[in-house]
Amino acid sequence: MNLYDFIFYFFAALTIVSAFFVVTTKNIIYAAFNLLLTFFGVAGIYVLLGADFLAIVQLIIYVGGILILMLFGVMLTNKITNVQIKTEASFVIPASIGVGLFAGVLIAILLKTEWRNSPADIPISTLVPIGKLLMEEWAFVFILLGVLLLIALIGAASIARKE
Amino acid sequence: MIPTALEFQLLLPVLIIAAGILISLIIEMFSSKSEKILPWFSIALFVSTAYYSLLTVGHERIIFNSMLAAGGTANIFFFVFTFGAAIVTLISIDYIKKIGMYYGEYYILLQSAVLGMMLMANAQDLVMIFMGLEQMSVCFYILAGFNRKKIKSNEAAMKYFLLGAFATGFIVYGIALMYGVAQTMSIPAIANGLLIYSDNIIFVAGLLLFIIGFSFKIAAVPFHMWVPDVYQGSPTSITALMSTGGKAAAFSSLLIIFTPLFATTQSTLFQPYLVVIATLSMLLGSIVAIAQTDLKRMLAYSSISHAGYILIGVAAGSELGIASVIFYLSAYTFMNLGTFGIISMIENKDEGNLSLNDYSGLGNKKPMLAALLAIFMFALAGIPPFAGFFGKYYVFIAAIESNLTWLAIVGVLSSVISIYFYLRVVVVMYFQKDENILNVEDSSPALLGIMISALLVIVMGIAPGSIINLISNFVK
Amino acid sequence: MIPIEYYLSLSAFMFIVGVVGVLTRRNAIIVFMSIELMLNSANLTLVAFSSYLGNPIGQIFVFFVMTVAAAEAAIGLAIIISLFRNKKTVNIDEINILKW
Repeated sequence: MNLYDFIFYFFAALTIVSAFFVVTTKNIIYAAFNLLLTFFGVAGIYVLLGADFLAIVQLIIYVGGILILMLFGVMLTNKITNVQIKTEASFVIPASIGVGLFAGVLIAILLKTEWRNSPADIPISTLVPIGKLLMEEWAFVFILLGVLLLIALIGAASIARKE
Repeated sequence: MIPTALEFQLLLPVLIIAAGILISLIIEMFSSKSEKILPWFSIALFVSTAYYSLLTVGHERIIFNSMLAAGGTANIFFFVFTFGAAIVTLISIDYIKKIGMYYGEYYILLQSAVLGMMLMANAQDLVMIFMGLEQMSVCFYILAGFNRKKIKSNEAAMKYFLLGAFATGFIVYGIALMYGVAQTMSIPAIANGLLIYSDNIIFVAGLLLFIIGFSFKIAAVPFHMWVPDVYQGSPTSITALMSTGGKAAAFSSLLIIFTPLFATTQSTLFQPYLVVIATLSMLLGSIVAIAQTDLKRMLAYSSISHAGYILIGVAAGSELGIASVIFYLSAYTFMNLGTFGIISMIENKDEGNLSLNDYSGLGNKKPMLAALLAIFMFALAGIPPFAGFFGKYYVFIAAIESNLTWLAIVGVLSSVISIYFYLRVVVVMYFQKDENILNVEDSSPALLGIMISALLVIVMGIAPGSIINLISNFVK
Repeated sequence: MIPIEYYLSLSAFMFIVGVVGVLTRRNAIIVFMSIELMLNSANLTLVAFSSYLGNPIGQIFVFFVMTVAAAEAAIGLAIIISLFRNKKTVNIDEINILKW
């Protein structure tokens, strides 16, 4: 097992285990911190796949943005003074059976298919090609993304404000 | 590649709305009279876009690095969305003041929701479909919860948001699997190799996940659990847009995906899935609607069963099927907008007057509104000569031509069931003694919007042949 | 070299964990976290394909998905807070003026 494989297994295990805990833990704060580890593991795998730009964006947006927002949500909706963080599960058995079937079929299909089995030459950095594509061919979508973010800001402010 | 001037010209409907959003923001920021200006500005925006879309309907072309389509069916959908949104704006003017939630953001969010719908209807790339869908959904999440002091509205927003984001997860994963096989996200490029990909189980699984995601958005059974709550809890004017424009936009994206598939020998690949959800939606929608006493909730179930009828047209998988889907969606849009418009006028400021009994004696007190509501109920039930009848007629014909006669029979059966709960409203209005005092505040803009919808419903019922011919011209 | 199946199975597993979370958990914030897991797994699939196919479009799409997810997170938290202000709970089972 070379170093590359070892790093993959490390991040994959980190991702799987923490993702599992996000869904099973009773404490919502633990869930949030496990989600942090999942995001971090996924970012590590992005680096292995040669997607350095996305790895950084993953850390900035998911860990730095979305997760912080969620922690704010947890803090604002559970009064710190009377810690009553109750989060039960329901429909566990029917959901597990259905999802188990789905999982089996999906993974069996993925493993059975013949894929091209070596990555293309991993570029030194994906920053330049992605930047060029975003500013040229995908400029229209990029601008739309700006509109979407603007609207999301306005909307979030308009329903969360007190008066 | 830099787009040419002609491409910008053909994209003008989208650009007008996009520019309108920014101008509305500036109006809202700087004008003290924005309360008066904004609604009429939005209406001007929507109507001019609708007019321009019809004007350029003949210029069919793929533009912007083959990311968007212009002309043809996309423009017909543009017309439905923008004209429908204009009617919704008319309905909203007095309604949102009545229930005490006037904020300028309302109209801005309405415009951006329409922008999202338009992008869904003319996308030629999976990325564009995703962007349009998210633009629309994000606006609807906010608008559903816009009446933020009412807990019902909060709940509706929450449920819509969680289920909507769940569906987005399916759609993105489906796109990922399709991309892995096809190595591209461009729909024309995927369409070229569709015959090869449709043997690839990963591609089919991806497409299926994508369609399941959209089944949430079109409110088909068994992905309908959010619909009654969200339609009931949201402000009525928003329910009107969600159940018409939102549904039409989701169907337009499904058609973009399905049209290339229908052209291949694999055209019946997803027929079993479509047939099952169509049957379930029609029957469950019609049967459960009978038990409802809240009018908005009843219309939510009716909306589920209409999704079922429209899915028959998609399952037929022929040119007539696609044309009939577009016809049905336009007819349904105007029928439903009118109905919700009347409900929003009768609703009082504490969200009362929504149950069926509150409509008793409406025929005496407000003969005009009662007559209009009767027209819409007849149209929704599919009674000739209104638009709803011909919508169902063409869909069923398409099904019979594609050897799905039994599905058409189920459709007819379900329409017969649905006549009961639609006509019950009419009976209550005209023949039931009124026990309660009904205070209906007059609103001339809303009445104008409702009358325009009624006019369109009648016109589509009188001249359905020429309209379906017009649509068929643009369905390849 | 790690074959692509490993990446795909990893992301399929994450996706399924996310779906299980959405279906079984009753706290709105945890349901939302599970949805983020689903989106992350879809992104992982896209990046794996993109890098094994040498095709940058997948990575561009992941960038869009991430940004949209951020916008959705902002909206979602705003909705959760406005609901909590009126109702003092984020437990989906207790949110039942409208039948679930």
